[in-house]
Amino acid sequence: MRNTLKLGLFLLLIAGIAGLGIAYVNELTQPLIAAQQEEEQLASLKEVYAEAENVVDESEQYLDENTGSIVTQVKVAYQGDDPVGVIYLVEPDGYSGKIQLMAGFDIATKKMTGIKVLSQTETPGLGSNAQESFFTERFKGKTVEKPLEIVKKEPVDDNQVLAITSATITSKAVANGVNAAREHFMENFLQ
Amino acid sequence: MSLWKELTKGVLRENPLFVLVLGMCPSLAITTSVANGIGMGVAFTGVLLASNIVISMLRKVIPNSIRIPSYIVIIATFVTMVEMLLHAYSPALFKSLGVFIPLIVVNCIILGRAEAFASKNGLTRSILDALGMGLGFTFALVTISTFREVLGAGTFLGMPVFGDSFQSALIMILPPGAFITLGCILAFINKMQSMKAAKRTMVGQQVAQQQLSSN
Repeated sequence: MRNTLKLGLFLLLIAGIAGLGIAYVNELTQPLIAAQQEEEQLASLKEVYAEAENVVDESEQYLDENTGSIVTQVKVAYQGDDPVGVIYLVEPDGYSGKIQLMAGFDIATKKMTGIKVLSQTETPGLGSNAQESFFTERFKGKTVEKPLEIVKKEPVDDNQVLAITSATITSKAVANGVNAAREHFMENFLQ
Repeated sequence: MSLWKELTKGVLRENPLFVLVLGMCPSLAITTSVANGIGMGVAFTGVLLASNIVISMLRKVIPNSIRIPSYIVIIATFVTMVEMLLHAYSPALFKSLGVFIPLIVVNCIILGRAEAFASKNGLTRSILDALGMGLGFTFALVTISTFREVLGAGTFLGMPVFGDSFQSALIMILPPGAFITLGCILAFINKMQSMKAAKRTMVGQQVAQQQLSSN
């Protein structure tokens, strides 16, 4: 019994010293790692809104927990003191699970600047193509005046977007997400 | 064994990957480019050196019955530190090596050297052993990576080696290519060793014959 206690205490000592060592290195490296992650985020935001230099997360200001909306984040891009664009993070329900996507809107031109699907669990080869640029490009430059509509033939109106072949539900899910963001944008940023 | 031999044994004679055949998993997985091979080799050598030093210094203090858990705690601590340092100071390499950085903890070479050497030898020898084994492992990784990157992507350290018309053998970058490369290298080394052994036997027989005929 006494021997077991001694062994246990020895392991405790080694583990304790090891923990202190790791904590020290963590102190050193944490700020660098955090700065890197911020840079990655900014690069990602720039993919939907190219002039996103100074972006402020204003989700608390604009989102109400009770609305039950699928909009999860609101980030406003500034040039100086003027807001020039808004980047939304929305999570609509796809065919099989949630789709996470970013949607960028420009205040001056009242148009969509682009979307990027961050994660999805749709059917591989069909709905999963929602992440491909050939589909996300279809949302670039779309007007915000009317809700976007998914169509299966070539779009005639400015608010129509061509669906992915054999993946209509996924396409409509993406459009739902974008429309939720569009509504919020219309209400809060276009006066 | 002389101190110099202690250092050099890990490079060729007792190369951890090609002769002791340890640490195969990361060797097959990350050697898709020479940069990866060098990066992993350096990270590995750092951990091996640090753990050999600590284990050698504590070898008379660690109770025998709990030596393996103690070694693993020590090794895991250094691997965690290396992982955080890589993430902070070399993010590209960190992303490239990915999950194989924490897997250094269970790299058989490190635990193997701790158990077979550092726990039974003094500080200086343990340091030399770690440096030699680290150098040998890095050399082995770079060898495999060179074949795989040059033949599989047409580049060496990212710089194109062949002209535009070169069609790279994609299989070399994929897992089958790793096995094929390692297999060929091991076959070559075994052939060299058996030829050397045959020559030694021949020379030994000649010497014995001469002694017999001169009597």
